[in-house]
Amino acid sequence: MRAATLAGAAVLGVVTLLWGVSLVSGYDVTSDVDVTRASVGPSMEHWLGTDHLGRNVAWRMLKATEAFMGPALLALVIALSLGVIGGAAAGWFGGVVRWLIRYSWTVVESLPRFVLVLLACAIYGSEVWVIAVAAGLAYAPNVGEAVFTRIESFRRAEFVLAAEAHGVHPLRVLTYHLLWVNCGRLVARHGLQLFAYFLLLETTLSYIGGLDGAGSFGVPQPDPSWGNMIAFEWREPEANGWASWAPGLAIWAVIMSAVQVAEGLVEGADG
Amino acid sequence: MGAFVLALAGAALLAQWLLWLAPGDPVDLLTADPELRAAMVERWSLDEPPHVRTLAFIEGALTGDLGVSLTYRPGEEVAALVWRAGVTSAPTLVLSVLLAVGAGVAFAYIGQGWTLSRRAVQALSVAPVFLLAATAVVSINEATFYAIEAGWIARPSWFALPLGDSILKSALGVTVLAIGSSALTDVHQASDDELRRIRRSGYVDAARARGAPLWPHVLWNLVPPLTTITVSRTAFFVGGLVVVEKVLQLNGAGAMLWQACRMRDYPLALGLVVGAAAVVCAARLVGDVVRIGVDPRLRA
Repeated sequence: MRAATLAGAAVLGVVTLLWGVSLVSGYDVTSDVDVTRASVGPSMEHWLGTDHLGRNVAWRMLKATEAFMGPALLALVIALSLGVIGGAAAGWFGGVVRWLIRYSWTVVESLPRFVLVLLACAIYGSEVWVIAVAAGLAYAPNVGEAVFTRIESFRRAEFVLAAEAHGVHPLRVLTYHLLWVNCGRLVARHGLQLFAYFLLLETTLSYIGGLDGAGSFGVPQPDPSWGNMIAFEWREPEANGWASWAPGLAIWAVIMSAVQVAEGLVEGADG
Repeated sequence: MGAFVLALAGAALLAQWLLWLAPGDPVDLLTADPELRAAMVERWSLDEPPHVRTLAFIEGALTGDLGVSLTYRPGEEVAALVWRAGVTSAPTLVLSVLLAVGAGVAFAYIGQGWTLSRRAVQALSVAPVFLLAATAVVSINEATFYAIEAGWIARPSWFALPLGDSILKSALGVTVLAIGSSALTDVHQASDDELRRIRRSGYVDAARARGAPLWPHVLWNLVPPLTTITVSRTAFFVGGLVVVEKVLQLNGAGAMLWQACRMRDYPLALGLVVGAAAVVCAARLVGDVVRIGVDPRLRA
């Protein structure tokens, strides 16, 4: 396996672990304010220093994993289930089913994902769960088209015809022989790409929302997101640099890691 | 052309249905005044069943009537607002697409086969657009401030970004959009793969044997795959435009969409969303025409 894939997997593992720690930690984002220690640099007590309200940057970085990990999983479940079911149905049945499903994907893909998510936030409110559902729905055509192409190319393959001739139930041919054996890595790759995309989406909305102030989109202060943490510190004259650089680097590192692991899942990349 | 119309009509209707599926009445969010409310319900045909509303919307859209703005520029025609903002944003969008394609091909051509060049471009390009824009703004401002303090230069007219309008800021917007959110790395990797494939093909060997220059053959054969990747990335560029315009405080359709969504100006937001879908569908149409024009096999 490539070194980059392993490193990427390690980073994703650490982020998942930090998310777990955050969920059980009980860190309170509102009671941490203490302006007497505003914008101090890293120390043993505050590993990444404090922001200009004196809040512990390391703890907020940790807590910010909650802003995207759970919602990203929701987006994954929506996109992967819709994409796999739609792609399998379109590739297996063909005809009108195929046309209808692929047309609906073309329609969704005609709307830029970011624009669709923004519109959904405007209509349904900007909670991070709305972003997750919108991102999942907007990403499903990507997964679906990939699964469809794979299923269609194997629909008349010899191993499928052989399985059918042996009397294997068509549902088992589709779910096991085609989807599980031949589309597993493909779907996992799309899942990782969606994870990277969701982090990008959430931090982007939270960053711009943070610059905009109350009533805008993304995760609002005082709840932390890596995006709004940057927006909160970026223009402070005497800011602790780590308070904005650390979330920025974290966003980049996690997206890069997800992309590397996804690349490692390309068939034949092992050799 | 049929596919273009079908996709655009579907996208416009999807955006409409998103609004109609919202719990409650969208008008409730906008006004408590019963008279104004009744006028809005009638204007949007909200008291009609969905299929009648859909037909009314299509009829309006076909005649260029997308309604009037409610909160962003109250009373102004949405179609006119969308057109003006679209014209303002078009150069940023087109130039960033051209820059991404040009730079991607150039890097692939120069750094053929170097894994390092591939990795370096990817490392830069996976960064979100907002992060690149914010980092560039801070870096340029800090460097300029240092130079002014040291007495090397006089205070430039554009200082400090992102305030005010300047060529530098617009160029920064184009560059950031061309690089960020994987735009550059997609083109670069596709070009790199295609260049390897093309250079191994028989017609390149034949050209080489004749002593003819190779690049016309190579570049001409890059057009179809690059068209495909550019078309598939158009939606990302349009989405990225919103981010770039907001972060760098540029005027245009992207910033207007953000504001329209924030101010719950539904007719304007829907008009801009339909405009964005039109750009994506038009790019698909142009892509098909280019591919058919370049590849005679597709004409059969």
